[in-house]
Amino acid sequence: MPGLRLAGIAKSFGSVHAVEATNLDFAEGELTALLGPSGCGKTTLLRMIAGLEAPTRGAILLGEADITAQPAHERKFGMVFQNFALFPHLSVRENVVYSLMISGIAKSDAMATGARLLDLVQLKGFDDRRIGELSGGQRQRVAIARALAQEPEVFLLDEPMSALDAKLREDMQVELRMLQQRLGITTVVVTHDQREAMTMADRIVVMSQGKVEQVGSPQQIYHQPENAFVADFIGRANFFDGVAEAAGVRIGSVLLDAAAGAGFRPGTPVSLACRPEVACLIDCTSPGTSLPAKVTFVRDVGPARDIHLETEIGRIIVEYARGETDQPFAVGQETTVTLPASGLHVFPRAERAAA
Amino acid sequence: MSLVSDTEVLEDASASAPPRQISVAQLVWWALILFLCLTPFVLVIAISFGQKIEGAAWEWAFTFANYERVFVGANWPEQFTVLYLQRLYYSLFYAVIAAVLAILTAFPFTYLMTRLSRRAQSIWLVFILSSLSLSEVFIVMGWDVLLSNRSGLPMVLKETGVTDWLKAVGWFDTLREWGLANPRNVKFKTSVFATVLTMAYLVWPYAVILLYPPLSRLDRSMVEAAQTMGAGPWTVMRTVVLPTMRLPLLGATLLLFVFLLGVYVAVTVFAEPAKQTMAVSVYEAIRGNTLNAPFGAAQAVVLLITASIFLAMGQWLSKRTAA
Amino acid sequence: MLRVISQGFMALSAVLLALPIVVVCGAALNAGRTMFFPPKEPTFARFYEFFVADTVWITALSHSVLIAFASAVLAVLIAWPVAYGLWARGDAGSKLLAGLGSMPFALPPIVFGVGLGFLWSFSGALGSIWAGVVSHAALFVALPIVTISIGLQSIDRAHLDAAATMGATRAVAFRTVILPQTLPYTVSGFFFALVLSFNEFIVMFFVSASSYSTVTLQIFNSLRNGYTPTMAVAAILFISVSVVVFSAIARWGDLPRLMGAEPAKT
Repeated sequence: MPGLRLAGIAKSFGSVHAVEATNLDFAEGELTALLGPSGCGKTTLLRMIAGLEAPTRGAILLGEADITAQPAHERKFGMVFQNFALFPHLSVRENVVYSLMISGIAKSDAMATGARLLDLVQLKGFDDRRIGELSGGQRQRVAIARALAQEPEVFLLDEPMSALDAKLREDMQVELRMLQQRLGITTVVVTHDQREAMTMADRIVVMSQGKVEQVGSPQQIYHQPENAFVADFIGRANFFDGVAEAAGVRIGSVLLDAAAGAGFRPGTPVSLACRPEVACLIDCTSPGTSLPAKVTFVRDVGPARDIHLETEIGRIIVEYARGETDQPFAVGQETTVTLPASGLHVFPRAERAAA
Repeated sequence: MSLVSDTEVLEDASASAPPRQISVAQLVWWALILFLCLTPFVLVIAISFGQKIEGAAWEWAFTFANYERVFVGANWPEQFTVLYLQRLYYSLFYAVIAAVLAILTAFPFTYLMTRLSRRAQSIWLVFILSSLSLSEVFIVMGWDVLLSNRSGLPMVLKETGVTDWLKAVGWFDTLREWGLANPRNVKFKTSVFATVLTMAYLVWPYAVILLYPPLSRLDRSMVEAAQTMGAGPWTVMRTVVLPTMRLPLLGATLLLFVFLLGVYVAVTVFAEPAKQTMAVSVYEAIRGNTLNAPFGAAQAVVLLITASIFLAMGQWLSKRTAA
Repeated sequence: MLRVISQGFMALSAVLLALPIVVVCGAALNAGRTMFFPPKEPTFARFYEFFVADTVWITALSHSVLIAFASAVLAVLIAWPVAYGLWARGDAGSKLLAGLGSMPFALPPIVFGVGLGFLWSFSGALGSIWAGVVSHAALFVALPIVTISIGLQSIDRAHLDAAATMGATRAVAFRTVILPQTLPYTVSGFFFALVLSFNEFIVMFFVSASSYSTVTLQIFNSLRNGYTPTMAVAAILFISVSVVVFSAIARWGDLPRLMGAEPAKT
C-alpha cells in the first residue's frame, strides 16, 4: 500500500479560500488526524482526498501515480461519514457488501467477505437487520465495515465519533485505532476533538483557517507547540503578553526567565504560554521565575484540581493531578507560584490574534 | 471569528456545480411540457380573439368583440348589458363565501388533528383525502338527495313537525324572504345557501390539506412557553397560533377561491337560473346551447386572468411565509 | 371540558363530511329507479346492474380504469425527469419547467379542458381514448412532480458521496440509491394521479367529445335526467377505491410527511 502525497493542494469557493496551498505526506500504514476548529478546511481537505471535491490547484499523488483527475468512484478510498450515511433501504449485510455488488463480484464471494467484515467489527449475526434497528455504535461499526469491504488503499473518516455519546466515543476511539493498526491501512481522520486525535493518531495535522499550523506526533504537538494557535487549541494554557528582552520576557515590572525567549530580538512583542500542569506551587525543583500569588478559586473535578491564582502578571491556573500533592488550598490563601523557564513557550504576538 | 463553517462551504460547492450543456432529452421534455401544459391555455387566449361564423363554426380573427360582449354587452354602445359581468360577480361571490366558510371550519379541525398521534393523523388523512378525491358529481348527488324537496331535509323537517313549528313561531316567513321556503315547506333547491354549502363542502378537505403543513410544523414549545406564562387555551390561540398562521390562512383561502372559480356541477344544480357563474357560461358557449367558441374562450380567459391574479397573490404570500 | 368540545367538534366534522357520502351509498340499495334515503325496499340488484348487466356502465368503467392507469403511468414518466432536474440542478430553467407542469392543476380545470378540446381538434385526435389519457396525464403531472420532489429532497446527499467512495458511478448511484429511496414517493404520486383521474370529468367532457365516456362523465351527462340508484353504486365503488389507495399509501408510505408534516423522528 503506497503512501499518499498532497502537493500544493488548494481549494477556493468563489472568493472564499477553504484550503490554502498545502503540502502533506501521509505515510503508508499511518493514522493521521486532521485537527482544527469547525470551518478550518479539514473536511474540504478530506473530501479532496476522497475525490468528492476537485482541488482548485495542486496535485494528489498515490505512490507515484497522479490521481488528481480521478473521480471518487475510481479512487474507491473507503470513507466513513459524519452521520455514517448508511443506506436505509438496504440491510446491514447489503450495506457492507454494496461496493462488491456494484463492481459485479460473484454473490457468494461478496457474502463471504461481508460475513468476515461483520465478524471483524463484532457484528456477527446482524446481517439481516435494518439500519433503523441499530444503535449509534452499531451503525458506526457497519459504516467502518462497509468502507473496508472494497479493501481501499486509503481509509478516510470524517468526524466518525460525532454521532456517538461521550462514553461510547472513548471506547470506539481505542477500538478503531486497534483495528487500523491490525490492518496497517493508511488512514486519515478528521476531527475537532483533540483528545480523539491524541488517542488515535500517529501524526496530527493542526489546521486553522485553511492553513496547516503544525504537523507532528501528538506529544510534539502538545509539548512543543510551534505557535500560539496550536498552544491555545491543543490542551489548555495560561497566556501572557510581553516583550522579549536579552535576559527573558518582560511583563510589566516582572522579568520572566524563559528559555525559548532567546530566539527573539529584544523589544519584539511576544506571547507567552504555560501549561497549567507545568506551573508549580510547592516543591518546585526546575528553575524558573517565582511570583507572589493569591488563590481566588479552587475547582476539584476528581482526578485533578485546578487552582486559580491572581498574580501581578495576570490570572494563572495551576493543575495538580490527584495524588501529586495532598496539600490543601483555600480561597484567599497567599502563596508563591513558579513558572519553570523550560515550560514557557514564546511566540510572536500577532499570531495569537488570528486564533 | 469570521470563518465560514464547513457545511456552508459545501453548500456553496453544490451551487457552483459546472454548467452542463442542454441535452436532447432536455429539449424533448421542454417541448413535451410546453405542448401539453401551455399550448391549451395559449389556444384559449388566441381563439378568444376569433369570431363566430355560420352555425357552430368560427374563424381566426383579431377582434375584441368577445371581450366587449363580456364586459359591456353585444349591443354596446346603444345598450349596456351586465349579464356576463353578473356571472363573473356570482363566480366571485360564491367562491369567496365558500372559501372563507371552509377555512373557518377547517382551521380548528386541522389544529386539533395535528395534536393527535402520527398514526391517528394518518387515519384522518386517509378519510380526508378520500373525500377530497371523490368526484364532484358524487358529492353533488349526495347533497342533492339531502336537500331536494321530495326526499331530503325538507321532508324530514315536515315529517318531524319542525316546519309547522317554524310556521307557528313566525320564522317561516323570514325563511321565505330569504328564498329558503315555498308556501308549503322549507326548500333549499335552488338557493344561494345550498350552492355555497355544497361548494364549501367540496373544498373543505382541500382546506385541511392546505393548512396541515403549517399547523403540523407549528413549534409546540412556543405554545408551551405561552402556557407557562399563564395563557389559557383561547389566549394561546389568539396571541400565538393565529398570528403565526395569518399568512398561511390567507394563502389557503386564495387557493380555495381559485379552485372554486372553476366549479361547474354544484352551481348548475343548486344555483338559481339568474345566479349562474362564468364557468357555467363557458360551458354553454363551448358545448352547450349557444355554441360560440370564441366567446366561450374569451370568458375562459377572464376566468383564467382572475385565477392567475389570485394565484400570484397566494404565491407571493407563501414566499413571504417562507422568508 | 375543552377536551370534550374538541372531540365533539372533530366528531361533528367527520359526520358532516361523511353525511352526503353515506346518503349516496345508502341510496344504492333502492329497489326502484329513484334515489330515496333511507332506501325503499333495500336490494343489491343495482350492484348487479352496474357490474354485470348494464353494458353502458361496464364500458364506462373500463374506460375509467384504462384512462386512470395509463394517464397515471404517463404522468409519473413525465414527472420524473422534471423533478430530478429540479433537485439535481435547481436552476431557474428547471424551476420554470416544474412550474409549467403544475399550471394545469392549479388553474380552473374548465379552462384547461376547453384549451385541450381546441388542441386535440386541431391535431385531429379529439375523441380518441389516447387523447384522453394524455390530457389527464398533463392535468395531473403536478402530483407526481410534487411527491417525487419530496422524495428526492429526503435523500441525504452524503448517501451519494458514500456511494461514490465505494465505486458507484452517477448511473449506478441513481439505480442503487436514488431510485430505491424515492420508490415510495413515486408510487404515492402514481396513486394520487390515478385516483384523481378516476374521479375527474370536466376535462374529460371536453376532450372525449361524446365519443366515449367514463363513469363520472356518464353521471355528469345524465345530470339533467336525474340520478338513479345505479349511479350510487358507482359512488360506492369510487369511494372504496380512494379509501383502499390512500390506506395503502398510509400503510407503506409516510402519509403525514407527504402531506407536508415534519419528517418523523426515528
